[in-house]
Amino acid sequence: MIMNKQEFLTCLGLQVHTLDFWLEQRWLIPEENAAGIDFSDVDLARARLIRDLKTDFGFNDEGVEMILHLVDQLHGLRGVLEQLAGELQTPTSR
Amino acid sequence: MKNPYDVLGVAPTASAADIQIAYRKLAKKLHPDLNPGDRAAEEKFKEVAGAYDLLGDAEKRKRFDNGEIDASGAERPQQRFYRDFATSDRSHRYTDTSGFADFTDSEDAFAELLRRSERARANRPGRDVHYRLPIDFVESITGASKRLTLPDGGTLDVKIPAGLVDGQVLRLRGKGARGTGKGRPGDALIEVEVRPDRRFTREGDDISLELPISLSEAVLGGKIRVPTPTGEVTMTVPKGSNTGTTMRLKGKGAPRRSGGHGDELVRLKVVLPKSPDPALEAFVSNWEKGKTFNPLEDRTS
Repeated sequence: MIMNKQEFLTCLGLQVHTLDFWLEQRWLIPEENAAGIDFSDVDLARARLIRDLKTDFGFNDEGVEMILHLVDQLHGLRGVLEQLAGELQTPTSR
Repeated sequence: MKNPYDVLGVAPTASAADIQIAYRKLAKKLHPDLNPGDRAAEEKFKEVAGAYDLLGDAEKRKRFDNGEIDASGAERPQQRFYRDFATSDRSHRYTDTSGFADFTDSEDAFAELLRRSERARANRPGRDVHYRLPIDFVESITGASKRLTLPDGGTLDVKIPAGLVDGQVLRLRGKGARGTGKGRPGDALIEVEVRPDRRFTREGDDISLELPISLSEAVLGGKIRVPTPTGEVTMTVPKGSNTGTTMRLKGKGAPRRSGGHGDELVRLKVVLPKSPDPALEAFVSNWEKGKTFNPLEDRTS
């Protein structure tokens, strides 16, 4: 599902300046086009994670920054491992 | 259902602050997004979050302590966590592979495999970019070439096919965002908005037009100039034409999908001279037949 900025704010119960800060920090990188910003399910789930980190767990901005960086690396690694596992199962002729 | 105090590992006498501390400690360890591969962590996290929902809210905690509600409290709505997306293609904007770049430097087979998948990731197709382009009604019928100015200052030439309708989306292959490496570029998707025209309206493949004519043209007939999307044409108005008389200009409408064109329907509208004319008034007052004609009785016109 694609949302615009207003729908995204309502869905998460966020203030505009909070979201703007997250976008500025590039914690969220939604798709932009000529008409504005499109937020997808991925962005929504990621924003929920950031919200949990900030409000429920009480991390400050530096902490969030660091956690996101580690989580992104972890997922990068998981993605590559998954791909490798796939390649090992179906060996390509070289 | 487990006792929420046991789930959080606090005594039933614990203060609100202690409960929050206990929750934060457990949640940080169990949050599904921080344990992407661990299904058990998700279950435990839900349990912990459910317990905190109950005990973190003073009102709910009191009702639970009094036995008014059970430990299930209010069920948390189903939530899709970030980890459900994170390894899919859709999150490639966020994932980061720099954390194991050093692995690919070595010579062994594992490094070679890593390098290959790195290359596969490097050749990612670009994404599609969406634009909106308003055009004039006439351009939608005849087709046109438009130049779109992009937000980054570049331009894009768009060929509008004849007969396009409002809201139609044109796909320009390879004109979207650049891919990385050998990945092909994305497409530009252009939604075309047809601006309404003062004169013409479209009905399927036909277009219609209301054309004002003078009283003398209506009574005596004659040749009149009619605008069409492809320029003016001459049309003969028959003697005794009335307001509402519709004439058909063959092939002046929008192109048909099956070939050929629709028609332009010209609805005539008789318009009297703006300022009262003494000669016309004198004629009408002496015109006996005009006084006996009652249009209300004559429904055929």
